Parts: sequence; structure tokens; C-alpha cells
Amino acid sequence: MKLAKDEIALPNNLACPGCGASLAMRLALKALGRDTVIVIPACCWTIINGPVGKNYAGVPVFHTAFETTAAVASGIKASFKMQGKDHINVVGWAGDGGTFDIGLQALSGAAERNDDILYVCYDNEAYMNTGIQRSSATPYFAQTTTTPEGKNRPKKDLMGILAAHFVPYIASASLAYPQDFAKKFEKAKSIKGFKFIHIFVPCPPGQKFQEDKTIEVAKLAVETGVFPLYEIIDGKYVLSKKPKFVDITEYLKLQGRYKNLTEENIEFLRQAIKTRWEYLNKRFNE
Amino acid sequence: MKKVLGGNDAVSQAVSVCDVEVISAYPITPQTSIIEKIADLIYAKQMNAQFIKVESEHSAMAACIGASIAGSRTFTATSSQGLLLMHEVLHWASGARLPIVLANANRAIAPGWNIWAEATDSLSQRDTGWIQFYAANSQEVFDFIIMSFAVAERSLFPAMVCLDGFLLTHTKEPVEILDHDAVKPLLPKSNRDTLDPKNPKAYGALAFPKDYYAIKKQQHLDMLKVFDIFDNVALEFKKISNRDYRAVDVYPTHISDYSIVALGTLSQTARLAVDNLRKEGIDVNLVKINMFRPFPVKQLKELLSDKKLIVVFDRDISHGKGGIVKDEIAGGLDLCNVVGFVGGLGGDTITESDIVSCFLDAKNGQIKGLFL
Repeated sequence: MKLAKDEIALPNNLACPGCGASLAMRLALKALGRDTVIVIPACCWTIINGPVGKNYAGVPVFHTAFETTAAVASGIKASFKMQGKDHINVVGWAGDGGTFDIGLQALSGAAERNDDILYVCYDNEAYMNTGIQRSSATPYFAQTTTTPEGKNRPKKDLMGILAAHFVPYIASASLAYPQDFAKKFEKAKSIKGFKFIHIFVPCPPGQKFQEDKTIEVAKLAVETGVFPLYEIIDGKYVLSKKPKFVDITEYLKLQGRYKNLTEENIEFLRQAIKTRWEYLNKRFNE
Repeated sequence: MKKVLGGNDAVSQAVSVCDVEVISAYPITPQTSIIEKIADLIYAKQMNAQFIKVESEHSAMAACIGASIAGSRTFTATSSQGLLLMHEVLHWASGARLPIVLANANRAIAPGWNIWAEATDSLSQRDTGWIQFYAANSQEVFDFIIMSFAVAERSLFPAMVCLDGFLLTHTKEPVEILDHDAVKPLLPKSNRDTLDPKNPKAYGALAFPKDYYAIKKQQHLDMLKVFDIFDNVALEFKKISNRDYRAVDVYPTHISDYSIVALGTLSQTARLAVDNLRKEGIDVNLVKINMFRPFPVKQLKELLSDKKLIVVFDRDISHGKGGIVKDEIAGGLDLCNVVGFVGGLGGDTITESDIVSCFLDAKNGQIKGLFL
């Protein structure tokens, strides 16, 4: 499939060079179109979208409190329904902190009610906007300013948590696979009820890699099996792309946040990927 | 038409005639019967509205914020811990200039767990940029809710109507009600700025100090315009109801040596105390604050600046300071002849004789302490 030519998101936004979150918005809006409104809580996009008077997203944006994305989106949708504007896509656009951590309760509420919104988590795997503190989306051994020794717990399985809400559509998406990415947003747009898309977004200053390596990091996250691309459609798990299972060291060595890993740590991660895929494969084959 | 209504029934009855499009709420005693009634009315198709049954009060206010910025008239109700949980988003609603209306069943704050009347919950939200009304009876509850929608939409500030838990929420009395057609002229469809894909703007964006300062200054200056807006709404409301409202009421006369000040149901008790004191030949009146935010300094100064002594009764407390209403009167009016008493916390009883004896202690310079 071809990506839409319409460039809705405007150039020269306030993102850092090589920002994955900036590209994610550009691609998402190409699929969603201009009849879209976006709710943005405290996150990198609060800055990226520009100060008073600017709106680089190119569609209406409501900036809101950190933990309120899903609830505000639900409110907007309810209002649009009452006004006969039900065709407008209402999108929550939050980082991993605002989704996995502080916004999880409101997210769970909206999912349980099956409110007709699309919630997008652009996940850069830490509180990057406040200066790289760990979140529950930070993976094992990643160094952050609050885990100088490397994190000692795994990343939370948010897709699994959402699946437990029996919502119609859940998907993961990667910037390295733009057609798959756009297809998932178009699918989400066509489905009534609660939709969730989880995007892994590489972050050069936070994950510590060169700013021209964004797509390479995104691609290796998928090809090593670290970030599986799949959908959960009405509870059914569907694999989007079978990884080549490139050795994890190829992914780790690009990123400064993993610079202190021991051989033992790396072996632990290899096993964790294996276990994760055994778990997922059982579901793909159901 | 008259109906026998408790304060909570008066809230839902008023909401049902105001063309509210989106309601979002979370249950908490003693607010619950408000939202149960609204759910019933929607189910029975007597109200055409979306009711978002959220997982917390924080999300209740957040959903109202969403519905309001999208262009709908919105309502929520809460109490005590629920209002406190909303605190952050109360600021957001007023900062975003959204005319949301909230009914707060005034209830004490834990610990210890206590579901009975106290106004510390809403009075401690006085700096959130919300208009605040305090009702003394179910008629005022009904009328304030309707007027709140009008004042909120004309000023672009959210408005809170406060009613004492159980004392008012669950006490039934006859209420003169208005129907949908009567209320309609008061509530024209507003043309405020809302989310529109044809006009893609960002709301609430990053504001550097100079922009931020200008926004907050404007917010304050606009809040001061609420006095005139309220007066106009009250005038229009009088035409449809024949009931007359002011930001501050006085009983039975504004000319007196002494004044007792109170708000909410406590003002009803104080009214009886004033009757008793006047029978004893003491020249005292009652000043009842209906609108607490914006704080009606001008109106209160006119009523209170020539008094020998002003005695304020609070069913609320700011620990380390005292009664909140007393503090606002003394500070806001720059007066030194103000004495305050705190009582009735957590729904403890205050009788008119309590008020009489405290007033006499104050008058005779024999105050025993802050508490009743």
C-alpha cells in the first residue's frame, strides 16, 4: 500500500534531531487524515507541538494533564456523538510514562467502557522529556538517570493488559515498517470502539545513539525480536512480521543506554526474548 | 410547579432541564443519588445525553474537560475525597476556560472516615479558578445549578454549586421548579471556541513566562467580570422564576450594629440565632454569602464596613489558621473587628443556641476559644 501524499503534520517542529516521536505523528496523520483531533498529555509532544500560537501537528490539539489522555478523549468523543460529528477521529497521543504509568487508570477505564477512541502510545522507553528517568516501559538493564546501575525489572506487557480488556483492536507498530504502520492506523480508523496502537520510537538523546540511526534502531528492535509486531483483533493474536531473530547484540551495541551490559546480562536478554516469543507464538497459533 | 425534593434531587431536576449533553461522574456518598437519578432520566429518555461512567473523579473531570472543549454543555457531581482527587484538573478546567458545572455535596475529609457535612472540601478549592456558589436550601440548589450554566457560559469559567452533605443533599422540602421551556432563554447555545478540524488550533500549549503571565492575568481580570455577569443572569432568572438572587444576602435588614456571617446550611441556623438575638434587643443581622468565588468584596464591604463587630461561623477549617470564611472576610475586607468560630466539623450538630452563645461571648469580649 502507498502512504497518503497529504502532509498534515507541519515541518520545523520542536523535536530533537532524529526524533522517532515526530516521525510517528507524521505517519499516523497520513493514515488518519484531517478529520482528526488529538489529545496530548505531558510528554515530548507537549514541546514538539510548539508554544502558544503554534500547532505543528496540523490538526486540532488539546494539551491536557499527564494522566488524563484517555478520559479527555472519551469526553470529546461523547460530545462529538451528541453533535452529530461522530466521523471525527479522536486520538489520544501519549508517551510511555503517560500510558504505562500515570495514565494507566484512565486508559483502563476508557478501554473497559470500549469508548470509540484511538489511543496511541509512542514509547521511547523512559521519561525522556524530563531527562531520561525510568518508567515501567523501560526495558531490562537499560541505563537511565534514575537507574544508573541499569533497570532490574522487565518492561511491562501493556498489550497484554489491554488485551485483558476485550477491546476490538490492539496493535504494535514500527517506524521502520511504514506501510505496516499506516495499515494499522487505517484499520484502527475503520473500527468502532476502543483501539490501541503501541509504537516503539527510538530516541537519540535518551537511548544514546547517533541521530541518523533512528530507523536502524527501530528496524533492529523488530528484527532481533525485542519489539514484536502484531495485532490483537477481537482477542485474536495475529503476527504482522516474523523477525529474522538477528542477535540482540546488534541492537544493543548501537545504544549507549546498554553500554554497561555484561555477557551474562546479554545472555539473560537472549533467553527473555526466547521466552517472550514462545508465549506469543502459542497465541498466534491459537 | 412545586415538588418535594431533597438537595440532590434538586440538582438532577435542574440538570435535566438545562439541555446538558455530556455527564461524567463517579459515585461517592452523599452525591450518589444525583447521578443515579440522571442515569434513570437518560434510560427513560427524559434526558438526551451521554453519561460517561468513569473509573475515578479525576477522570470524571477530565472527561468533562474533553466534552466541553468539543463544544458540549457538561455536568458532573462529586464530594469530599472526590473533589480533592479532581484538584489538578479543576485548575485545568478553569485555565482552559471551560464552562463546566459541578455539584459538590460538602462532606468531611478523611481520616477518620466521615461522610457528613463540612465545607473544607470545596473551600480548599477556592484558588482553582472556579466560580463557587453555596446553597442553603433545595430551592437555592435548583436555582443555582440553572444560573451556574448561564454564568459559566457567559464568563467562560467553570462553576461549582455546593450543598451540605445530608443536611441538604438528603433533606426533602418543597421546591418551585422550572421546566425546560422556561429555562431555555437563559441558556442560548454558546458560540465559544471549540475543537474543529477545519480550524486546527492547539489549546493549552507551552507558554513561556511572558505569555503565561498574560494568560493568568487575563484569567483574574475576567473572573472579576463574573459579578456583573451574575447580576445580569440573576435579573433574567427573576423574570422566569420571580425569585431574586444576589451574590450576598442580608437578613432581616442591612442596618445593624452587629453582623453574623455564614454560608450554606449553617446560614439557616444562623438566621434563627439572629431572630433570637433580635428578640433580646440585640441589633444584629445575618450576612449570607451565596457566591464565594469570585469573592464579593464590594458587596461585603457595603454590608459590613460600619459594624461594631462581625462574627463569622465556619463549618470548615484551615489547620494552623482557623475558619476559612472568617479569614477571607477579615483579609479580603481588611477589617480588624472580625471574630471567627469553627464548629460542626464532620457533621457535628450546631444549634441556634450555640451560635447565640458564641456571638454573646464575642460581643462581651469573653471568647473562650476558636471552637464552638
